[in-house]
Amino acid sequence: MNAIPCLTIEDVANLDGVLGNFLTKAEAELTVVIDRGGNVISQFGDMTVMDVTIIAALAAGSFAATKELARRIGEVEFNALYHQGNGNHIFMNSVDDDTIMITVFGRRTTVGLVRFYSASTAQSVAALLKALQNAGGGHGFSFDASDITATPVFADQ
Amino acid sequence: MSIINYASREIQFKIVYYGPALCGKTTNLGYIHQRINPENRGDLVSLATAADRTLFFDFLPLNAVVIKGFVTKFQLYTVPGQVIYNATRQLVLRSVDGMIFVADSQWEKMEENVESFKNLEDNLAKQNISIDEIPYVLQYNKRDLENIAPVNYLEYVLNNRKRRVQSFEVISSTGQNVFASLNAVSQILLHKFSKQSDVPKTAPAPVAIPVEPPIAQKSAAV
Repeated sequence: MNAIPCLTIEDVANLDGVLGNFLTKAEAELTVVIDRGGNVISQFGDMTVMDVTIIAALAAGSFAATKELARRIGEVEFNALYHQGNGNHIFMNSVDDDTIMITVFGRRTTVGLVRFYSASTAQSVAALLKALQNAGGGHGFSFDASDITATPVFADQ
Repeated sequence: MSIINYASREIQFKIVYYGPALCGKTTNLGYIHQRINPENRGDLVSLATAADRTLFFDFLPLNAVVIKGFVTKFQLYTVPGQVIYNATRQLVLRSVDGMIFVADSQWEKMEENVESFKNLEDNLAKQNISIDEIPYVLQYNKRDLENIAPVNYLEYVLNNRKRRVQSFEVISSTGQNVFASLNAVSQILLHKFSKQSDVPKTAPAPVAIPVEPPIAQKSAAV
């Protein structure tokens, strides 16, 4: 297993800065950076209207599912996907080999604007994440048995 | 691959239920979803065919224990068991932290169990993960049926490696040992995670994370 990604408060602030700037420019509602396994790395925007964890899992699946489709037309993968709804839409683009960025937006903006600003945002996010990977090492969060406040971990009610 | 976020004070883990078709993986998640405190879980997402066969995956997010102010979040996935969906299984295994292998105890399913376990090893190897390193437990499911293999036979077939893992006699339809097996793999995961810190400890060396009362069957050192 690789080193565990560890997001410090400073890392999250840097990511939030990039994502917040993107949301303002693109006039989108929410953006989420996830790994390709469906884990949420960072999120910014209005998170009260949807379960970001589930969106991340489904988006990772959606992105991977179209990879074979891309191969059939001679591509390695589609580096961006767009799901159009009646009022709300999702745009997903590749950040790097391990990471995807999801943007949820509504009627206030257009897919063109989201697509335009997401390209440069993805590059900035990739640079930040690369710095994290280079840091490497352990996660620095140490605990022992007495720190776990509930056993069993999950209770059958 | 677990992720620790110091800003939102969260640690994320991914647990995958793996096993042959119709062995009871989705039933496990359904029972957990039904019985766990609703405040600690999200929606159960199931991408299934009209005949209720898992097409893509099932997904259930859970919030668990708080450790030093950090909420541990576990994301439970199932894979589609049918042989043709191997590409989907590879996708779901991506970034996996721990696993529960669900075996069907019926004699006629033994070959499928072995094939599925081999498929799991192969798919993990494609991600450079060894089955001998990743935390997992075994479930011997459907123990309420008549035509089932004895536990020692299942142990011989599926748990006969250098590292023997905990195994559980399970009836996923009634929930027997469903939580016990989830708790076991979660505790192994947390224990492994606690060892991956490189910060020197000032406190005495940690002891093993406490294990719940011995509902486990055929428990062995992990």
